Amino acid sequence: MATRRVTRTEQLQQTILYPVDWLEERSGLVGGLKYFLFRKVPGDINWFQTLGSATLTAFIVQALTGSILAMYYKPDPNSAYPSIQHITNDVWAGWLVRGMHRWGASVFIILMFMHMGRVFLFGAYKYPRELNWVIGVLLLAMGLAEGFTGYLLPWDQTAYWATVVGINLNGTAPFLGPFIAQFLQGGTYINADTLARFYAIHMLLIPGAIIALIGLHLYLVVRLGVTSPPWSREAAGTGSIIPSRNGGRRGLTRPRPRRSR
Amino acid sequence: MATSERIVERRRVFQQYKEDVKERGKPFYPFAMLHDTIMSLVVVAVITGLAIVWKYSTPGDHHTVEPGWLGKLYDEPADPGTINFVPRPDWYFYFLFYLLRIFKWPPTVVIGTVGLPTVLLLILIAIPFIDIRAERRLSRRPVAIVASILVVISMGVLTYKGAVAKEALGTELVAKVPTWAKKEGFAGNQQAIAGAKLFAVAGCLNCHTYLGEGGTNLGAPDLTAEGAKNKGIAFQIKHLQNPASVNPGSPMPSFAGLGDARLKSLATFLEASKGPK
Ligand code: HEC
Ligand code: HEM
Repeated sequence: MATRRVTRTEQLQQTILYPVDWLEERSGLVGGLKYFLFRKVPGDINWFQTLGSATLTAFIVQALTGSILAMYYKPDPNSAYPSIQHITNDVWAGWLVRGMHRWGASVFIILMFMHMGRVFLFGAYKYPRELNWVIGVLLLAMGLAEGFTGYLLPWDQTAYWATVVGINLNGTAPFLGPFIAQFLQGGTYINADTLARFYAIHMLLIPGAIIALIGLHLYLVVRLGVTSPPWSREAAGTGSIIPSRNGGRRGLTRPRPRRSR
Repeated sequence: MATSERIVERRRVFQQYKEDVKERGKPFYPFAMLHDTIMSLVVVAVITGLAIVWKYSTPGDHHTVEPGWLGKLYDEPADPGTINFVPRPDWYFYFLFYLLRIFKWPPTVVIGTVGLPTVLLLILIAIPFIDIRAERRLSRRPVAIVASILVVISMGVLTYKGAVAKEALGTELVAKVPTWAKKEGFAGNQQAIAGAKLFAVAGCLNCHTYLGEGGTNLGAPDLTAEGAKNKGIAFQIKHLQNPASVNPGSPMPSFAGLGDARLKSLATFLEASKGPK
């Protein structure tokens, strides 16, 4: 009896785990996830280091609410404004989705700046994480470009005239300026094509680039690990930045009894 | 430290980092992930809260354009032929927009519009390649501290200034038209007066100054004595229709949407403004 009971539990376990094993054998994804979840991070990381994943969350909110808005929004000069009114006033919870997208944009940008600030103050852009900093700067530029292109879409007075001036500002650049302005507008003036163009850039081109860059960014974060706060007395890797002639921190980080936290 | 020495040293430090983490680190799940999840929930809550306040603080039936605590749900529909507008970007561009007031057309305005953002971006990218010391403790990075304080203060001040910058109000400016007509001596010219009224409400004074009214932006010139340049009515109309066609690279928006008759009045007014008598 006892042996049969064990066999049955094992069988049950095997049945449940079968799809997982199947997936693992064919893709290695399960192992990858396990590696991601159970990889070690420095024991002294703190709240400031949650700003990166907070930024990621804000971006995901933008992607989801944006996809819903795209189901109702109409990118042509005659129906853009009415479609925004329709979303705000008639569509069920449309005001919520639009409001979250609108204010999520500001939150996303603030979080990006705060995350960048923490990376700067932690000196976390230094070797070997220079490349991840550069990717971060590109993400910041892309995020601002999302703000600029999204601003036109409601096609109201604020949107329209801010964009007229914004495009003209691009147009002042030497040599390339006029071409950039023409490309953005899809012509010499703001017109129906401008709106469609901004829409395509705003919901396909830049988000695609952002997703790819975030992928690279996180790959590097996992590969290189995150830094310990620089002030930490048990910071990982500070063992001998400065050999003891310069303050002698070695004893603080090297063999040292583990503290429970 | 010599370069090769530095490279060897930093490789060793990173190796040390990896060993330290392996030895004394915690697994990402559940420790770090718990904090990340809490923070993410806060973010979603804040965003949802803002959306709710935006809607419920807006008075009226939401088909109006009354502002609530967080601003309007939407403005009036876009109108290329409008005679009253204020160009205003989203708040995170205020600092750039405000900076533009410092520059003058044509020699330096390009510095503000393109040069400055490009330089800022390049400096940001360059930081890890300029600051190659391994030192991460703030107490030993005085330059980094001073620089970041300066950046935060100047961005804050510029954003604030951009937010409270006075907008030229058409209704107030239109009252000034008789005074302008007397000072500039076009009181007898009905078409010029019509043009002056249009000039007061069409948003021109958000970029231009005229007899001390309005505010400079994008380096736009003072127009008090525009007529003294004697460029002619035809030129003025062409410039208003498509500024860049006669003044290459001009960032002034096209006012073709105003229609020929109004442009003619505006041009007459501009040519009649020979400066105060
Ligand atoms: C968004 C800012 C902006 C607005 C709004 C604006 N301008 Fe301009 N304006 C400029 C700039 C920048 C220049 C300098 C470049 C140029 O000459 O086109 C300029 C130049 C001019 C000139 C000088 C042209 C010359 O070559 O002598 C005139 C006249 C003028 N604007 C009239 C107007 C009138 C009239 C309006 C309103 C209908 C107006 N502007 C609205 C930015 C603006
Ligand atoms: C879409 C925007 C961004 C997302 C989603 C994102 C996400 C993340 C995440 C999740 C981490 C892990 C550690 C942490 O949370 O602090 C991280 C680390 C990092 N980020 Fe970002 N980030 C973004 C933008 C930026 C920007 C603008 C910069 C700087 C210019 C930057 C530079 C870095 C660097 C250098 C690290 C490594 C830090 C370390 O090892 O301690 N990132 N990022």
